[in-house]
Amino acid sequence: MTIFKKLTVISLLSAILLSLIFIASARAVSSNVTDQQIQRIRENCLSAKATLKQLHASDALLRVNRGQIYESISIKLMSKFNGRVANNGLDNSTFVSVTNRYNLALDDFRSHYIKYEEHLSAAIAVDCLKQPVSFYDAVSVANSDRIKVHSDITKLNQAIDQYRSSLTQFENNLLADKESN
Amino acid sequence: MEANKTNSIYDDRSFKDRHSFLLFITGSILVSTVIVVISMTMYNGSGAAQLDLSRPGYVSVRSQAIEGESDFQSYSSVGTMDKEAIDSFKKLFDKQSKKLKAVDAFGGSPSPLSPVSLGIDDQTAL
Repeated sequence: MTIFKKLTVISLLSAILLSLIFIASARAVSSNVTDQQIQRIRENCLSAKATLKQLHASDALLRVNRGQIYESISIKLMSKFNGRVANNGLDNSTFVSVTNRYNLALDDFRSHYIKYEEHLSAAIAVDCLKQPVSFYDAVSVANSDRIKVHSDITKLNQAIDQYRSSLTQFENNLLADKESN
Repeated sequence: MEANKTNSIYDDRSFKDRHSFLLFITGSILVSTVIVVISMTMYNGSGAAQLDLSRPGYVSVRSQAIEGESDFQSYSSVGTMDKEAIDSFKKLFDKQSKKLKAVDAFGGSPSPLSPVSLGIDDQTAL
């Protein structure tokens, strides 16, 4: 074997060894799971899995039903009303601004839900008896994704409230203008 | 002599000619595999997979999905803008927003995915 070949083999082995060390250290950093928690994961493995599966299904239903309403509010109500206001030669900039914010929150909701569902499915697929630490990590990731989805829902509801208060303001101004004329 | 001539003709045929049917089947399988991979990538990446309640894991909730939007009335973008038009919009808007706020979607305290809820931990939350 030439020196070049020996060097190549040594370099490859070193690279593999270093990668394994990095992966092991990364795992050690990401998981702050105590022995007691590992024991409890193993004990409650079946019930935890059942809870996750139930949550997976109920959240999917929530995504479908709520998603439809959120989308329809934007398309069938907000956009239509904004158009009607503009068609009557009135200022709709406040409504358009709130609608844009609402649509951005809706986009975030869609993309965050995809990630959440993928991570929850991954957590369900982990064998919690054999890999309790991986299970804990996977559930932790799914949990933080779910919090993001909830935050998007809060933003959507806030935008709905803002639109509603803008509507009241708009109505008051419109009536005041008509009275003064 | 005649047999040698036949063998010679057979050998002269290209690999493609000799195995055309096998190549056709292999090509078909490869093309269909590529198409399936592309379509599955689109199905998963577009978010359609998350909305598809026909998947096996969603059997229990499938019947509860709202089919169509029969009770969602669209607002007309054409017409005058007066008190009556605004009241009509308010009615439609409030009806839907009330539905959305009835339940704290994707909320819950503690979170259903927290270690406490899953029985992993007694006190700490993720």
